[in-house]
Amino acid sequence: MAETVREIREGFLCPVCMKDLGTVTQLQSHFEEAHSSTEDKAVGHQIKELFDKAKRTLLGKKEDNYSSTQGLSSGAYGVATSSDGLRYNIDYWEPQETGQIRSRTDEFRALRGSRVDRYVVETNKLLIRMDKLIAPDSPPHSDSSKRKAFEKTVVMWMPDADLKHCPTCGRKFSITKRRHHCRLCGSIMCDRCSHFLTYEYARKLTDPAFQFDGDSGFLKRSGSSSSLNSMFSSEGDPHIRCCLECRKLLERREQLLDQRNKKPAIVLLYGKMKECTDECERLLETYLPMSESLSAGESTYRLQEAQIIRTKLLRQYDVIDQLSKKIVGLGVNAEEPQSMKQMAIQKSIRTFATGFIQDNMIGLQSLPSEEQYQKLQDARKAEIQKRIAMERAATIEAQEKEKRERDKVENRDSMQEKGLRQNNYDEQTERTNSQVHRGWKPAENSVRVTNEDPMLQQMEIIRSYIKQAKQANKWDEVKMLEENLRDLQREYASQQRQTWS
Amino acid sequence: MNVILAIKQYISKMIEESGPGMKVLLMDKETTSIVSVVYAQSEILQKEVYLFERIDAGGRETMKHLKCICFLRPTRENVQLLAEELRMPKYGLYYIYFSNVISKQDVKVLAEADDQEVVREVQEFFGDYIAVNPQLFTLNITGCYQGLNWSQNALKRTVQGLTSVLLSLKKCPMIRYQNSSEMARQLAENVRQTISKDAALFEFRKTDVPPVLLILDRRDDAVTPLLNQWTYQAMVHELLGIYNNRINLSNVPGVSRDLQEVVLSAEHDEFYANNMYLNFGEIGTNIKELMEDFQSKSQSHAKVESISDMKAFIENYPQFKKMSGTVAKHVTVVGELSRLVGKQNLLEVSEAEQELACQDDHSASLQKIKALLSNDKVTQLDMLRLVMLYALRYESHSNNDVSGLVETLKRKGISDKHRTMVSAVLEFGGRKARGSDLFGSQDPVAFTKKLFKGLKGVENVYTQHKPLLNSILDQLIKGKLKEAAYPYLGTSQLKDRPQEIIVFYIGGTTYEESLSVLQLAKSSPGVRIILGGTSVHNLKSFLEEISAAHQGHIPSQISSRR
Repeated sequence: MAETVREIREGFLCPVCMKDLGTVTQLQSHFEEAHSSTEDKAVGHQIKELFDKAKRTLLGKKEDNYSSTQGLSSGAYGVATSSDGLRYNIDYWEPQETGQIRSRTDEFRALRGSRVDRYVVETNKLLIRMDKLIAPDSPPHSDSSKRKAFEKTVVMWMPDADLKHCPTCGRKFSITKRRHHCRLCGSIMCDRCSHFLTYEYARKLTDPAFQFDGDSGFLKRSGSSSSLNSMFSSEGDPHIRCCLECRKLLERREQLLDQRNKKPAIVLLYGKMKECTDECERLLETYLPMSESLSAGESTYRLQEAQIIRTKLLRQYDVIDQLSKKIVGLGVNAEEPQSMKQMAIQKSIRTFATGFIQDNMIGLQSLPSEEQYQKLQDARKAEIQKRIAMERAATIEAQEKEKRERDKVENRDSMQEKGLRQNNYDEQTERTNSQVHRGWKPAENSVRVTNEDPMLQQMEIIRSYIKQAKQANKWDEVKMLEENLRDLQREYASQQRQTWS
Repeated sequence: MNVILAIKQYISKMIEESGPGMKVLLMDKETTSIVSVVYAQSEILQKEVYLFERIDAGGRETMKHLKCICFLRPTRENVQLLAEELRMPKYGLYYIYFSNVISKQDVKVLAEADDQEVVREVQEFFGDYIAVNPQLFTLNITGCYQGLNWSQNALKRTVQGLTSVLLSLKKCPMIRYQNSSEMARQLAENVRQTISKDAALFEFRKTDVPPVLLILDRRDDAVTPLLNQWTYQAMVHELLGIYNNRINLSNVPGVSRDLQEVVLSAEHDEFYANNMYLNFGEIGTNIKELMEDFQSKSQSHAKVESISDMKAFIENYPQFKKMSGTVAKHVTVVGELSRLVGKQNLLEVSEAEQELACQDDHSASLQKIKALLSNDKVTQLDMLRLVMLYALRYESHSNNDVSGLVETLKRKGISDKHRTMVSAVLEFGGRKARGSDLFGSQDPVAFTKKLFKGLKGVENVYTQHKPLLNSILDQLIKGKLKEAAYPYLGTSQLKDRPQEIIVFYIGGTTYEESLSVLQLAKSSPGVRIILGGTSVHNLKSFLEEISAAHQGHIPSQISSRR
C-alpha cells in the first residue's frame, strides 16, 4: 500500500489541473486566471466557499447564519436578542422510534369468538332446517296434517305442556289464545308474537348456488333484499312461521351478506381513480429522469419514448380529473338527495384529486420538440468538444508533474475520487448541467463521451479502474473500487429521484 | 425526544394499518385536539381520510363503504358509545385505537357488542396528551387544584397523561418531586404505581443513564405566569390566547372574515417556525422582510407577458398562494399585537413587572405601580397583574402597601372577585407555600449576582426575568439539585448527570418556560428536556387556576377514566 500512500497528494492543489500552488491566495489567483471559463466557475465558487469556511473555522469564528437578524434586533423597541437564533425544529432530524404500542386485538377476538361462534352454529342450523322446509318435494301446506308431521321431523317441537305463557309477551295461553311453534327452532309463542318469512326470502338465504366461503363460514349471496315484515295469512304465499330470535339471526346473516356484495357507485369510481393515481406515480418515476436528461440534450433516452409516456401521463391526469368530477357530481341530480356527510366525502376526494394533479402536473415539464432537441444535442456536442480540448491542454501541463504517477492509474486512491464525486453532487444541485470531469487524471479525460451524465461517466471510469486493477491482481483495490461504484450507483439513483420528484 | 413526532408517528401508523380505501376518523373531544394540533386536515386528506367525526355527535350516517379509524380516550362514556356503535355499525370495518390503557372489562364489553365482526384491530396507542411544541406538551386541564389539593378527576387525568408521555417516548424514568408540595408527591406516587402495575409495558431498552421525571408545583413559582411576554408565541398567547394552536381574532378591529380564527402551527407555517421564539422587535423586522419579499413576488406576478412568465407563474402559484395566506395572517397578528402594546401601554407595564420580579427596590417599584394605576391606558387586567406581583414580591416587606394598592384597584372599578385574587395569589404562591427561594434573596451568591447585574445595568429591561424552572433545571443538569428539596421516589438514585429530563408542572406551565427549556437544552450538549404541564397558562387562565385553588370549587368537568 506504500504506493497508494504516495499517491495522496497534499497541498494547495488546483482541482482542475492538479498543480500545487503553495498558498491559498496563489491558488485562488491561479484559478481565476487559468480556469475562468464559465463551466469552471462553479467549482471555483465552491472552492472559495470551502476556504472561506475553513478560514472562519480557523479564526475561531462561529458560523452564524443569523447574524443578519441579530443586527436588526436593536430595531423597533431596542429589545436585544434573547433568542440566539433558536428555531422551532431544533432537533427535528433526530430519529425517534414509534412510541409504545400494545395490541389487545387477540384478547378481543377471543372474547368475540366465543360469542360469534354461537351465532354461526345457530344460524347454520336454521339454514339447514329452512332448506328442508322449502324443498319442493316437501308436503304442501294444503295437506296440513302431513305438513305438520313433516315439520316436526325437521325440528323437535317443544311439548305444549311446557309453557303456560307466551315467552315473548307473557300472556297466558287459552283456547282462544293458542300455542304456535317456531318451525325453525321448535319453541313456542303466541300468534301475535309469530313472525313469518316468505319462501322467496328463505331461498335467498339458502340458495345452494351460493358457495360456502371458506374463511368466514358465511354463504355468498347476491340480489336485492326482500321484506320480511309483511305478515301473511295462511292462504297467502307459502311461508314459514318463526320466532323473534330466529328472525334476528336470519336478519343478521342477511345484513352481513348484503354488505359483502353491495358496492355503491362511489366505491367503484374511487377504486378506479386510485388505480390511476398509482399508475401515474409509476409513470412519473420513469418519466422524470427521462425528461430531465432530454432537455439537457443528452441521448440516454429516446425522445419518442418520453413523448409516449408523457401522453400517457396526461391521459391519466385527465381520467383522474374526470373521475373525481364524477364523484363530486354523484347524487346531485338524484331523486333522493345525497346526505351532507356523503357530499363532504365527495368534496374531500375531489380536493385530494386536484391536489394530486397540481402537485404532479407542475413537475411535468414539456419536452423539447425534435428541432429543439437537435439544437440541444448540437450545443452539447460543441460544449463537450470544447471541454475536451481544454482538458487536453491541461493534460499536457500536468503531464510534466505527474509523469511518474501516470501508469498507476488504478492505484489512485478513493480519497480523491470521493472528493471529486462531492464536487459532482454539488454541481448537480446547482443545476449547472455542465459536464463535470475536471480535476481528474488527465489521461482518462478522453473517456467515452457517450454517457453524458457526469455521475454515469464517473461510474464508467471506476469500472475501467476495476478492470485494470483486476488485471494487476490488486484485489484490495478492486474491492474498494467496487464499493465506491456501488455507493455511486446508489447515490445516482437517489439523486435522480430527489432532483426530479 | 420530540412529543410532536411521537403523536404524529402514532397517527400515521394507525392510518397506515387500515390499508388503502376511503376512511373516516372517529374521535372524541380530546383526541380531536390531540390530532388537530399536530396534523393539518389537508395532510390527513392525503392519507385517504376523507371524513372526521365525533363519536358523541348525533346524526352520523351509515356509510358502509368507509373504513373507520377510531382514536378515543378510554373513558367509560367512550366505551359505551363505541359498544352502541358496534351493535349497529355505521361503517364497514373498525380499527380501534385507545389513547391509553383499556381495562379487560371494557375489552369484553366491546367484544360482546361486536356481533357483526366489524372490528379488525383493538390497540393501545399512548398519545394521551396534546403536543404543543416538540419539547412542550399540555393536558389542557384548568383547575387541577380543588382547595389546595388535587381535584381527583384532574389527578387521574394527569397520571394518565404523564404515563402516556413516558410510553410514547419509551422512557421509564427515575422520579423526583418537589418536596414542599404534597400534590407533587401524590402525583409522583401515582405515576410510580401505574408503572409498577403494568411493568411489562414500561420495559424498554436500558440506557446508560436513566431518564429523570421531575414533578414541580406551580405554587412554587406563581410569578412567571403573571408576567407580560415579548417572544412571539408567548406574547400571542398572553394577549390573544392560543388554544390548540388556534387564535381567535374576531375582536380585532376591521379583520376580514377569513382571518377571524387563524391557526398558528409551526409544523405547517415556516414563518412562524422561524419566529416563534424571537422577540417582538425582531418579528417587526422579519415581517417587514416577509412583506417586501411578497410584494416583489406579487409584482413579478402582475406582469405576465410572455409564455415563460406564465410558466413561472404557474409553477410558483401554489407557493405564492400559500405565502399570501401566511403574510395576511402574520401581518394581522403582529399588527394587532403592536396595536395592543401601544394602546395598553404595555412597555411601561412590562418594565415595572420585570423590575418587581428581578430587582429589589421597594419604593421605586411602588411608585411606578402607583403611577401606572392612575394611567388610563393601562387595562384593569394589567393593574391587577401588577398588584399581584407586588403582593408576592414584597409580602414580608415592612413598608408594604398591599392594602393601599387594593384600595386603589377598588377605586379604579375592579370587581370584588378580581380584587380577591391578590390575597388568593398570596395563599397560592406566597412565602408559606413556597419551598424554594423564588426571589433569590436568601442565597448570598444569588443575591450578589443580582446586585452585580443591577450595577452593570441589564441588557434588556423587558426580558430580565428568568423563570425559577431555569435554575432548577440548571442544577439538575449539573447534578447539583438538592435532594432534600427534590427527593427521589424510592431508593435508587442517579449517579451520573441526567441526559434525558421530563419536567412536569402541576398547575400549568408557560411559554416563557418552554423557551427557557429550549435554550437550556441548546447550551447543554447531549441533554434533552421535555416540559409539560396540566395546561399552558396566560394570565387569564392562571387567574382561573388560582381562583379554583382559592375557592375549592369544582372546576368545569374534566373527562377521565372511571
